[in-house]
Amino acid sequence: MNNPLLVRRFATGVLIALLFLVPIVYVIMISLESAQQFGAHPLQPPVPPHFGNFASAWTQGDLGPELINTAIYAVVAAGISTALSLLIAFPIARRLVRWSSSLYQWFVIGLALPLPIIPLFIESRDLGLYDNRIGYIILHVALPNLPLGVILLTAFISGIPTELDEAAWLDGASYPRYMLSFVTPLAWPGIVITLLYSLLYVWNDIIGPVVFLANPSLFPIARGVFNFYSSNEGSYTLLAAAVMVVSAPVALLFAVSQKQLLRATMGLR
Amino acid sequence: MWAGLSVGLGFYLLFGIVPTVANIVVSFTNYSGFPGTPTSFVGLTNYNILFSTQGPGFVSSILDTLFFVVGVTVVQNVVALALAHRLRGDSKISSALRILAFFPIVLGVTVVGIVWLLLFDPVSSPAASVFGAFGIHSAFFGANNVAMPLVIIVQVWQNLGFTMLVYIGGLMTVPQSIHEAAALDGVSSWQRLRFITWPMLARAVSVNVLFAVVGSLTTYNLIYILTDGAAGTNTLGMLAFNTAFGQSADLGLGAAVTVTLLAVAVIVAIPLAGLLRSRERRLLG
Repeated sequence: MNNPLLVRRFATGVLIALLFLVPIVYVIMISLESAQQFGAHPLQPPVPPHFGNFASAWTQGDLGPELINTAIYAVVAAGISTALSLLIAFPIARRLVRWSSSLYQWFVIGLALPLPIIPLFIESRDLGLYDNRIGYIILHVALPNLPLGVILLTAFISGIPTELDEAAWLDGASYPRYMLSFVTPLAWPGIVITLLYSLLYVWNDIIGPVVFLANPSLFPIARGVFNFYSSNEGSYTLLAAAVMVVSAPVALLFAVSQKQLLRATMGLR
Repeated sequence: MWAGLSVGLGFYLLFGIVPTVANIVVSFTNYSGFPGTPTSFVGLTNYNILFSTQGPGFVSSILDTLFFVVGVTVVQNVVALALAHRLRGDSKISSALRILAFFPIVLGVTVVGIVWLLLFDPVSSPAASVFGAFGIHSAFFGANNVAMPLVIIVQVWQNLGFTMLVYIGGLMTVPQSIHEAAALDGVSSWQRLRFITWPMLARAVSVNVLFAVVGSLTTYNLIYILTDGAAGTNTLGMLAFNTAFGQSADLGLGAAVTVTLLAVAVIVAIPLAGLLRSRERRLLG
């Protein structure tokens, strides 16, 4: 370690690790503190750890039903919008429709403009989509996941050599069969990325549940845990435990998908 | 093919394009969030309210927006570029730190917001202890002049991983051989950064600057969690949301704020995109 360059690299590495770890470690730490300890010495490591917060947070915060709601919303909405994105992106990427590039521009614009939450709220009331599960899912298909998916998948499909799928096309496979057995496997890495980004958006959305839902039994965890924060100001130890419980599924998903997710994001330049 | 395409486009039309355009229509009405209130067209009334002093703090909201957009764009890009420079390598540690830096995006605004509210609780938090040791007491996210810089920090902290990865992607396009040749010719590492790496990053700079400007201009979900627009953090998006869905439930006035925001987004984004593109052409040829 006498090399000054190595010392500098080591120091900056530690600094970066601290920048991202300190907030997370603090939450993990206080989730393991009893209410008395948090009141007296919040910054002392909890030895021995107090695991009771997790059970209390689970029942008091209704986390179980909220996690189920969130999983349903995220998986179904992300699945539908990814499938629709593929059905739009393929004809655009292969220029099968005459106005491909202007169609594509419409999706770029849609992604850049602010989410029109006020008209969407009015639509949700007029179309009977307000405060119900199916409506909530439908309202999460289009923005922003559909334009995002179209852009990601158009870029991905454009990179696949035409010869690979044209052969099957000429063999006379029907379009649905052709999409399912030839295009989907070829575009699979792009589909996975689109699915992941869409899933994360719906999972973490907080504006949607505030505007489109009123019945607490329909709440996803984002609104549930935020209500837990606003109503339970005193018991931060329970809140920290709740935050950890609701983050566990996405953390797990990230753990298995980080390689693809990071590589795809690097390719965006 | 047409069946699949039209279902997708139908969804996008009904829940993407129609509501975006409908913003303009709603902004000319007195549409109220209270059920049973009749709706009628009121002409330019909402815009008159907005641009007059009796309005919901429109001018200060524009200043807050400006502060937020410039702060996020500058800090996010500078820090992300530094991180990208340090973490672009293939080592196990660099790769682990890249994953760590991306994690806040996965956690989402609600969790990230609550984590930082816990870190900066005015009474019982690490920040209260550290600043308290110097005799400084602050309401942090509740204090004017303190809240906005903190909100900017949290917004940057959450999105750093994404911006950094785009820069790393850009750095990987700079051929190592150019660096080696320049180093042999006695070009210093600062000059190489300035005259080789920086110009070749033009494409990544464009993507990141545009994403940061448009993103911070149009999103307010993190601000909603952290301050709900209080203490000088009331950006236009936040103002529109609270006008429509807060106590007043004034969707018409909220839509007028959104239309203004839309206009600002278009006026800023299109010349900016053009500027960045011509910069790319100049630098990359």
